[in-house]
Amino acid sequence: MDGPLKDLAKLERLTGASGKGKSPSVADSLDSLLHSLREARNAIEPGPVPPDLLSELSQTVELRKKEVDERQKDIYNSVFRVGRALDKKFTATLPYLHVFTSPTSMAALERTVALHFLRTGQFDTAEIFLQEANLEVPPELREQFVDLHRILQALRNQDIGPALGWVAKNADFLRKRASPLEFHLHRSQYIRLLLATHPPNPMLALSYAKETMQPFYAEHEDEFKPLTACILYLPLSRLQTSPYAYLASPSLHFDLEPLFAKEYCASLGMSRQVPLRVVGDIGGGGALARIEKGRKVMRERKSEWSQADELPIEIPIPPENRYHSIFACPVSKEQSTELNPPMMMGCGHVVNKESLHKLSKPGRRVKCPYCPAESTYASALRVHF
Amino acid sequence: MANKLNVDGILLFEQPFARVPYENYRKVFRTTQRNVERDLKAVQATANELVKQSSSGDVSSESAIQSIDAMIITVENLKRKLSELHDTAGKPTQDVIRERLQHLATIENIPTANDPEFGRWADTRLDRWLVDWALRNGKEKTARMIAKEKHIETLVDIDLFSDIKRIEGALARHSCTEALAWCSENKSALRKMKSTLEFDLRLQEYIELIRAYKFQEAIEYSKKHLVSWQETHLEQIHLAVALLAFPPSTACVRYKRLYDISRWTALVQSFRQAIYSLNTLPAEPLLHLSLYAGLASLKLPACYSHSMKNVDCPVCDGEAGSGSQGLGLGKLAEEVPFSHHVNSTIVCSITGKIMDADNMPLAFPDTGYVYSREAMEEMALRNNGMVTCPRSRATCQLSDLRRVYIS
Repeated sequence: MDGPLKDLAKLERLTGASGKGKSPSVADSLDSLLHSLREARNAIEPGPVPPDLLSELSQTVELRKKEVDERQKDIYNSVFRVGRALDKKFTATLPYLHVFTSPTSMAALERTVALHFLRTGQFDTAEIFLQEANLEVPPELREQFVDLHRILQALRNQDIGPALGWVAKNADFLRKRASPLEFHLHRSQYIRLLLATHPPNPMLALSYAKETMQPFYAEHEDEFKPLTACILYLPLSRLQTSPYAYLASPSLHFDLEPLFAKEYCASLGMSRQVPLRVVGDIGGGGALARIEKGRKVMRERKSEWSQADELPIEIPIPPENRYHSIFACPVSKEQSTELNPPMMMGCGHVVNKESLHKLSKPGRRVKCPYCPAESTYASALRVHF
Repeated sequence: MANKLNVDGILLFEQPFARVPYENYRKVFRTTQRNVERDLKAVQATANELVKQSSSGDVSSESAIQSIDAMIITVENLKRKLSELHDTAGKPTQDVIRERLQHLATIENIPTANDPEFGRWADTRLDRWLVDWALRNGKEKTARMIAKEKHIETLVDIDLFSDIKRIEGALARHSCTEALAWCSENKSALRKMKSTLEFDLRLQEYIELIRAYKFQEAIEYSKKHLVSWQETHLEQIHLAVALLAFPPSTACVRYKRLYDISRWTALVQSFRQAIYSLNTLPAEPLLHLSLYAGLASLKLPACYSHSMKNVDCPVCDGEAGSGSQGLGLGKLAEEVPFSHHVNSTIVCSITGKIMDADNMPLAFPDTGYVYSREAMEEMALRNNGMVTCPRSRATCQLSDLRRVYIS
């Protein structure tokens, strides 16, 4: 943005009040014009009009007007240059896709937006939006989000009580997921108690641990040692340079919020990331530009896509946004399907079923194309990713 | 690095963001220029008149003072108007341009998409897109609320869309006045775009005069406003003149079409197109464009297979109890093409992590279900070396799992 910003700064200087620069500012020129007019008036006031005064005045008017016009022309040119700098910076134009215009799509998007407001805790905005869109969401759903944000707010205020309350109600669910949430909540509280006393007095923290953390000993045995050993490195300033410095990091407490939100949403069957953000970031982070470029290339080659319902090019996706396994057969390059599933040969290499069939020799034996091993067609195992 | 920011791809969406305040500033400049021209021309004329009078010797001190006083008032007023215009419109608009350019400049300095600063930037971008979407869908209160709550008033164009709404409202009430005023404000830009909006509006006003049987006025009007378009619109002008001979009840298709009320709807469309393209705004919400590309990048056949659904996947539309029929993003995804892949990517359905040589895929020996080594080792650690497939419920020793090689 350096180019447009530089031209903008020039424009700001030209239109600013202080008349620095080669020519005087418009305000300066008008001031001197006013001054000349008042002088002329004063000269006439006492008696007859002095000879030449009016023609001199007319010349002054002429001169100042020219000054102002020049300045305005400079400003005009400067505005033009800002525009040109913008043109240079933004060379591509957005495509016209004409999507999501059907009533069902519009309704689906409105619903998505309403849930987005609720999920991100914008309850007032959600309220107004639901009114304007004449839309309803089940009150329970709203309550669930209100609850989530109440608990997150408490965590922000260093109060783990509401979070523990939710954990107690959802103990089964969390146990099945082997979630570390409850342990992390207690660990955060323990460290807080430990660091809260001056001079260091670990008794309060230790009795807290004894009271609440014992059930976690079996599963988090490795983590208990640092939790007790770190007492030897108090106070905080020493702990920060100790082998247990990670226990002094504020992220130990800040990370509770995203972890809690993740478990809470999972318990409701919702994604861990805000879906609208995920899709928007991918689409707005280069995917659209790539898709358009791919289409342009296809058009120039005058070839239609071989499959109209598939993008012509691969869009790179960050690892955290890979939600499904994709198996592309190394032999046929085709993606596996229900009818053409991935098959693992005896050696562990995987190809699609059709490829396996083509590779098999008389006697139903298959020589792996990737290693010297040979196995039978029948022994290949259908794998599920 | 896969997560390096694609600045060009991001900026593809941002031209209107910079262009709208720029066009606003051009408007302020034109107003300034008009005032300067008009007032200084008047002062100049008065001064010349005084000289003329004095050379013919008939100027009294009183009348000279009167004229000079008038000039002083004009210049004082001009000065005041210009400074007001600068303080209330010029400077604030420059500030908006600066703020927006600086906002865009921040992403030029963020190294990766994982940077928390990019997270905040992208949050704001989504809010901006939602405001744009809400404004285009007549949800003005929502738009204002988001802007206020998120403190992004200067990063969104609520005023522009209020203008659009006002002018379109007037057109819907069959009044061209507002739209014509807008055309004259943007005359040169419209001419550059070869927009014929102004002619269409003028023609409509002319048709309405005839519909009201005001023939004399219609003829006057056509002389004043239509004839100047003869170079490009001669045929339509001929048609318009001939319309005088046809009543609104005519059966003649060519003229019946001119009387058609739906022309007003078309005017709304062409006005919208003109004001959008003047500001480089796309014809559809920015949110639509980004969602289209984002959904197409993610969409896979697996999203529509019940057993392969992943609640974290936006296309799978993981709402509780929604079944296989998406209600939100999944519904929208039906309109977009599938993503395209040349290489395999195997994702562990337990940890969600991508499997590779360091985190090998392991298969249950009988059922063929595949999980990452990390997930299996952790499970074995908690169950005395035994692992259980969460999907097929098959159980075996960790050491019995088979290594899978994906080439």
